[in-house]
Amino acid sequence: MLKTLASRTWTFLKSFQLTIVLLSLLMLLVVFCTLAQVEMGTAGAVNAYMRSFFVWRHFSFLPFPIPTFPGGGLVGLLLTLNLIAKTMDIQRTWAKAGMWLVHAGMVILFAGEFVAGMMQVDTNMSIEVGQTVNYVESYKTMELAVVDVTDPAWDEVYSVPDTMLSRGGAIAIPGTPITLNVKKHHANSELSALPPGMEPSIATAGAGPGVLVQDRPLVSADNEMDLPSAFIEITTAGQSQGIWLVSAAMNAPQSFSFNGRTYTLSMRLLRQYLPYSFTLKQFRHDVYPGTQIPKNFSSLVQVVNPSRNESREVLIYMNQPLRYEGKTFYQASFGKNDTLSILSVVENPGWLLPYISCVLVSLGLLVHFAIVLRRSLKRRQDQKEG
Amino acid sequence: MNFLSKYLSWTAGALALLVALIFAMPGGKVRGFDAAGFSSLPILEGGRVKPLDSVARNSLLVIHSRQGFRHDGRMVGPNEWILDVMFRPQVADQQRIFVIDDLDVLGLIGAKQTKSRNYFSFADLSSHLEEIQKQAQTAQPIAPQQRTRFQSAIVNLFDRVYLYYKLRNTLQLAGSPGLGWELQSLGDAEAPARHNDLTQLGAFRILPPQSSATPDAWLNVGEGLGAAAAGQGLHPALTPLARINQAYVTNDGAAFNQALADLKGIAATLKPAAVSHAGNELAFNRAQPFFVGLSIYFVAFLVLCVSWIWKPEVLRPTAYALLLSGAVIHTLGLAARVIIQGRPPVTNLYSSAVFVGWGAVILGLIIERMYRKGFGTAVAAAAGFASLIVAQNLGTEGDTMEMMRAVLDSNFWLATHVVTITIGYSGMFLAGAIAIGYAIRKHFAKPDAETDKALADMAYGIICFALFFSFVGTVLGGIWADQSWGRFWGWDPKENGALLIVLWCAIILHARWAGYVRDRGLMVMAIFGNVITACSWFGVNMLGVGLHSYGFMDQAFWALMGFCMSQLLFMAICAAPARFWAEKPR
Repeated sequence: MLKTLASRTWTFLKSFQLTIVLLSLLMLLVVFCTLAQVEMGTAGAVNAYMRSFFVWRHFSFLPFPIPTFPGGGLVGLLLTLNLIAKTMDIQRTWAKAGMWLVHAGMVILFAGEFVAGMMQVDTNMSIEVGQTVNYVESYKTMELAVVDVTDPAWDEVYSVPDTMLSRGGAIAIPGTPITLNVKKHHANSELSALPPGMEPSIATAGAGPGVLVQDRPLVSADNEMDLPSAFIEITTAGQSQGIWLVSAAMNAPQSFSFNGRTYTLSMRLLRQYLPYSFTLKQFRHDVYPGTQIPKNFSSLVQVVNPSRNESREVLIYMNQPLRYEGKTFYQASFGKNDTLSILSVVENPGWLLPYISCVLVSLGLLVHFAIVLRRSLKRRQDQKEG
Repeated sequence: MNFLSKYLSWTAGALALLVALIFAMPGGKVRGFDAAGFSSLPILEGGRVKPLDSVARNSLLVIHSRQGFRHDGRMVGPNEWILDVMFRPQVADQQRIFVIDDLDVLGLIGAKQTKSRNYFSFADLSSHLEEIQKQAQTAQPIAPQQRTRFQSAIVNLFDRVYLYYKLRNTLQLAGSPGLGWELQSLGDAEAPARHNDLTQLGAFRILPPQSSATPDAWLNVGEGLGAAAAGQGLHPALTPLARINQAYVTNDGAAFNQALADLKGIAATLKPAAVSHAGNELAFNRAQPFFVGLSIYFVAFLVLCVSWIWKPEVLRPTAYALLLSGAVIHTLGLAARVIIQGRPPVTNLYSSAVFVGWGAVILGLIIERMYRKGFGTAVAAAAGFASLIVAQNLGTEGDTMEMMRAVLDSNFWLATHVVTITIGYSGMFLAGAIAIGYAIRKHFAKPDAETDKALADMAYGIICFALFFSFVGTVLGGIWADQSWGRFWGWDPKENGALLIVLWCAIILHARWAGYVRDRGLMVMAIFGNVITACSWFGVNMLGVGLHSYGFMDQAFWALMGFCMSQLLFMAICAAPARFWAEKPR
């Protein structure tokens, strides 16, 4: 019984029907994902269709979303199983060597995309000419940074991710006497001056009391960003410092003091500090003569890494990124009248897999088609002779 | 007979090449002026050095959609037209070259739709310029894909009028006494304002750099005059240019040609490389290899169609010879573009269409050599003709050799990723074309199992070929993306389009291997391959999202829809049950 079940599953997994159904589903998903990008932006559409196990949809008559289509994760997983089953099933003969290579390469390609989907971290680094930066920033995720600025030579940064604030409740910051108590959280908000006659803000300290916070719908398009705000009561060693408004829409940090130490509060893009720093020495933005068509962007960067006792100059330009300590730095954008260079920073442990896959599959296809062509030419030759 | 057919067919091929050669010959003088010589002057525009001829042709294409027009009962070519625009605007302003088809735009300028196309001269439009500009400025901030029909049309008209206006004020300010007068009144009180106008409006830079230290420092006439007024010396090219201007206005052909020779001599001393480069490009422009090629493909296709009902033993080799000479011209044209531009063959949508057609023609020629049934010739001629028609329509948007944006500026990746993926497109279209031929045969020709089998083999082989190139091209694209943007695969629309082709090929081949489809099913699927390839080639440009959306087009949407519909129709014809066939199987 168990054996028949296992063998049935095996037959199902290695069947051509499954391959074709899954490939067709994948095609449909790709079409949906492409069309959805117009509305949702690339990242939003990819998360909804490709990097999920089901495509969820909200119907107005149902209180919860229901799965309407298998997502890229499910199709990809089944396709991988199908591929593996199929690869095992291919006859181990030289005539099938090409097919072996192709399918093995495809398994690696799928693994690469899976690794990228799971583990790839995209951040960016903005540096102005002459500035030194030792952190990368997230594109959209926010954090509440509580910084101890007492020592002018050294900032102690305590970071609370916005996702943690959105859960509410009390958050004690280890290593400090500070406890944050989230009173209210807005996932996306707009700030304006509190008009007279309105209900007063719940904030009691800092810039908050004069500000009106209004909720905004969440956004997902590529060039838009949620601006979260939160009302937070700060207690230091049991003593309240008042309720503060922190918001990504506020520019200047607010500060308070306790026990002779000064702390600043700011809601900002999530930072990851690096054990090395980049100094932008020069940024170039060349155009073709007499036009505005960009010809080249490049950043000349001084990389200083005390742990490796290293200090060297690197030129990062189009199609020529810097791969350093597991991260890759690409010339992505610029601003502030060509004095600001924006590098996109990608960390993907599986970046090598597609390269291996490409070689395997191309080789496999070549071998296979060569074998088939030789066979068909031979057949034609036999026909002519016979 | 055999000898005769061979002889006849090669004569036809040679004749086609001769026609192409005649096209490449320089034209005669216009009213005694060496207009062609004037057009060979090197200038800097759009970031690269080119002959003035390219500016004239591309501007006339943008404004008029054609490279020539009838005025006062005779044809006016781009070289004569640009001379009139720049030196005799009072003449050029009367020529009806602006086409306006949109009803609302016609209403705006107070004209009615007439039976013929609606052509207007600059003089006709001049009283409505302010209104056109006002409406266009309201529409311009809106993203192109969100504009209404009227908004697109008015922006388009404004762009064309503005281009004309700039050309009119490039070498002299329209309505002023000319460049010679400008040179005499350098110190005059209004001169700085005039120089500034010329600098701002100048459509191209005609004064070659004077020092080799600044090889890109071409100046336009306004800048040259400004420098002279500021005491930085008179650019040597300005005086002969003023003489050309004077001679053209006073209708003195001999003086014009003499001044032109002087100007060319100055350009040749200052920038010899630019002069020879401009000469090469001029020859390429004049030869119009892709236009000649598509005409030859058309004739080849017609000859082949006739061969199926009349004298196949003579006409089939003739069609093949014609196709071959078309392919020779097409190849030469591609090679000339590669040499002139210094880039791999595919750099934008226009060149991809040229290259897809070339790939299909070469594949078709190979197939014809292998099977010798005339089908290779037929589909190759049809595919070559169709893709060059597409290219001709894409080429009306301006310079087809524009400079590459920084992200795309990598000859290595352009040569590998872009070329491979475009060859994949060629293969898909060729397989689709064979499948359409197969479908039509089933219904109208005598059944012939051997030919059907041969067609199915061809289609199968080409799909394998297309799968290989599409896959490798797609993955190479991923690697390029990994090299320059930091992600191997971003589900960008163009990437998705390429992926769809790969997936569809994989589905076709797996369905065939598993025996779910036989020859006919394979053919139906191959026709659908045309739809997928066309959508991934053009459709994604219409979505206007992602990193690849450089070549946005607004009008091609309906053409694409029409193409897809026609392919669905062919699929239905191909899938039609046996009782509809020419001869019912027993």
